[in-house]
Amino acid sequence: MQFVRLIVILAVVLTVFYVCISLYSRSVRRERLEETWDAAPQGDAGARRRFIEQGMADYESSLRKRLILLVYVIPICLISLIMYLVN
Amino acid sequence: MRNIRRALRITFLVVLALFLHYVLPQQDVARIVGTEIIRTDLSGVNRIFYAQADAGGQQLDTRDLRLINTVRKRTYLLGFVRGGDQTMVYRNEDTGWIYPPYFKFDSSDLQAEANDMTSTSANPEWVVITHYGWRIRWLTVFPNAISIREAPGPDYRPIPWVNLLVLAGLVALGFFLRAMWAQFRERTLDPIADAAGDRIDRAQAGAQERRGRFRRWLDSWKS
Repeated sequence: MQFVRLIVILAVVLTVFYVCISLYSRSVRRERLEETWDAAPQGDAGARRRFIEQGMADYESSLRKRLILLVYVIPICLISLIMYLVN
Repeated sequence: MRNIRRALRITFLVVLALFLHYVLPQQDVARIVGTEIIRTDLSGVNRIFYAQADAGGQQLDTRDLRLINTVRKRTYLLGFVRGGDQTMVYRNEDTGWIYPPYFKFDSSDLQAEANDMTSTSANPEWVVITHYGWRIRWLTVFPNAISIREAPGPDYRPIPWVNLLVLAGLVALGFFLRAMWAQFRERTLDPIADAAGDRIDRAQAGAQERRGRFRRWLDSWKS
């Protein structure tokens, strides 16, 4: 029963973290794309939008985005390590 | 207003510091005098300072509590200053799956280790007892022993690596949360506030315009 409670609490907290970090990472990526374009613009506003959309599409399929899944992996590894060390 | 905010901030920091002091592991150099088991009837007041029944067991009103009696080296100021000897009693309870997250299930084994390392003052065997919690005498509250290992000698000073790592992690998490909040404010809240501000400006300008028209119409009745 306690174990179930731990799993539920962990799932909720880690999901909140996961969502926050993905939103943050996406926002940072978009800002950097905008800055890259604005530093050396090559075309009109439409080209700028296309450039940013392309960059965001690249991000959606990048390793960096998948690395956010570590939010789930690291605490579980940490718990396993603590259990091994303490017991 | 600023004083209220300052008081709230100080209160929060004090509560956080006390919580960390209670929950983080501390290492005492001690000599085990003996072990015993007493029956405990926990009340609502000191209940929060105890863990639950042994992992896998049922929670009842009263239960047995394993204790480890020791003589330890007194420490002050988070262990930076050493004093003389002092008796200290540790409880030995499973923390189980929940709180604090030590995931300790081996209380019985620890008790056996403690029995094994029991020594007399004539022929002392010094050990490092890792524990968390406080000894509060007027509530009969004991710190919970987590593990016992051999100490090289009575003057051994263990380095609190776990605490250093946890505190560094908390500071890093704090900075990360702050960066996240700054990004959220810059990219999401400020544009919304700007848009709302624009709309308010436009509405006010429109109202001004209408009032101006009304005034002009009134003025047209003069003379």
